[in-house]
Amino acid sequence: MARPFSTLLIWLVVAISLALPSTFLLTLDNLGRVAPDLTRGAQLSVMLRSKADLAAARLVEQRVGAWPEVSQVSLIPREQALMEFAEQTGLSSVLMSLENNPLPHTLLVEPAPDLNKTAATALVGRLAQLSEVERVIQDTRWMARLQEALLAGWRWVTAIGSAMVLGAVLALITTMHLVIDARREEIEVVSVMGGSAAFIRRPFLYTGVYFGAGGGVLASLCVWLFSAWLAQPVDALLALYDMASPLRGPGAFYSACLLAIGVCLGWLAALIALRRYLRSLEI
Amino acid sequence: MIEFDRVSRRFGDIHALRYLSLTIDQGEMAFLTGHSGAGKSTLLRLLLLLDRPSGGDIRVCGESTAKIGTGSVPQYRRRFGVVFQDHRLLFDRSVHDNVALPLAMAGYAPRESQRRVRAALDKVGLLALERANPASLSGGELQRVGIARAVVAKPEFLIADEPTGNLDPALSSEIMSLFEAFNQVGVTVLVATHDLPLISRLRHRILTLSAGSLAGQESG
Ligand SMILES: Nc1ncnc2c1ncn2[C@@H]1O[C@H](COP(=O)(O)OP(=O)(O)OP(=O)(O)O)[C@@H](O)[C@H]1O
Ligand SMILES: [Mg+2]
Repeated sequence: MARPFSTLLIWLVVAISLALPSTFLLTLDNLGRVAPDLTRGAQLSVMLRSKADLAAARLVEQRVGAWPEVSQVSLIPREQALMEFAEQTGLSSVLMSLENNPLPHTLLVEPAPDLNKTAATALVGRLAQLSEVERVIQDTRWMARLQEALLAGWRWVTAIGSAMVLGAVLALITTMHLVIDARREEIEVVSVMGGSAAFIRRPFLYTGVYFGAGGGVLASLCVWLFSAWLAQPVDALLALYDMASPLRGPGAFYSACLLAIGVCLGWLAALIALRRYLRSLEI
Repeated sequence: MIEFDRVSRRFGDIHALRYLSLTIDQGEMAFLTGHSGAGKSTLLRLLLLLDRPSGGDIRVCGESTAKIGTGSVPQYRRRFGVVFQDHRLLFDRSVHDNVALPLAMAGYAPRESQRRVRAALDKVGLLALERANPASLSGGELQRVGIARAVVAKPEFLIADEPTGNLDPALSSEIMSLFEAFNQVGVTVLVATHDLPLISRLRHRILTLSAGSLAGQESG
């Protein structure tokens, strides 16, 4: 077995290489689970039919405003919408030259904050069934952006994670080379006496697994500590948005995965490091 | 029976062995001698399949070794007990565990292994040092532990390359008598050595190599 100091060192290297990407993964996983809940508070844009005039629009505004599942409604008359649109796009001269305003009157509907997802969907349906309503648009642009960001995050974590895992494997191989070098004499003697490749390999595979498993255990310990440390401020933050804490720690399955990954990496590194030595012994 | 049939081994321009033919009978004890560089170690390495000949064939009990593939080499090597000049014991474990190594690779149960190790150490007169670390042993004792390790798994052949190279005459003679004792119970023994005065006193065949060829053989 390697000296305690180098054992601790390789455990730390493996632990850090596994803990960092898995912490990111855990964070992304949590974010992904929170994201759908966030749509609850999202504003709805209700486009009225073009035949509905301003008076009809005001009527709808009042009616919808009285619904219990709606906290606030504001009407954007089509003229105001056109002006805003012209300002934003810089197309004012083009738009002013149009004979008819192509935009409808629009209601911005703010759902009640305590609405759950099914109730929110029901609200969309109820709005869409009003005879004056052309269509209901959920303001999901920022949701789409969040999804994009999450996807980018996953890719980023995959890339960084692969690089770090590769680093861990290289460090494991280097350490295994040192361990094997220190027992070169033994390998040679055993080989001359008729030790099979499997017999020669076995203790080194155990050493590799020992390195990898230790790293895996340390890694899940790191992730546990980190998520426990993060839990309190995140819970507080989510409480502001009226949400129960969705933050989940690494859990038993996650820890088992880290341990298994560590074991596999150690085993793999030992096999790779042994190849060179065994090849030099084969005739 | 070990047969070398016109065996050659070249290292570039150096002919370590050239068209060497010799036979060692089952149950025989023979010495291999010759000047430094004559090819003694090369011959033993070829026999153990630590190296392969450039030409010719080596047969053991009538079977050509050329056909033995990498996967079967360990099994083949276990038919030989090997004693090295520098004993090559492992200092990270006890005398007992050193001797037990060939049994471990052959898959013996601990109890049977223990019994055999003690029997082998008893034969070389070192049972008392079973628990000692090899680092605390004298040169002669180390070599005897090496012999115990070589014979513990009851090999058919005992091979030694200059086993007395580092020992004084009295100890050398003691080691040679150990080899003779194992030969007497049926093990075929082949010992490479420079120690002509010692081996000429013993009544065994002496094979003399010179520049990779057999220069002569005198029966003891
Ligand atoms: N791996 C090798 N590469 C190149 N030359 C080698 C190799 N092994 C042996 N030789 C050469 O082959 C020749 C025979 O060497 P060998 O070791 O068999 O001699 P030896 O009889 O055992 O000598 P000694 O009594 O000094 O041990 C020598 O000239 C040696 O230099
Ligand atoms: Mg030699």
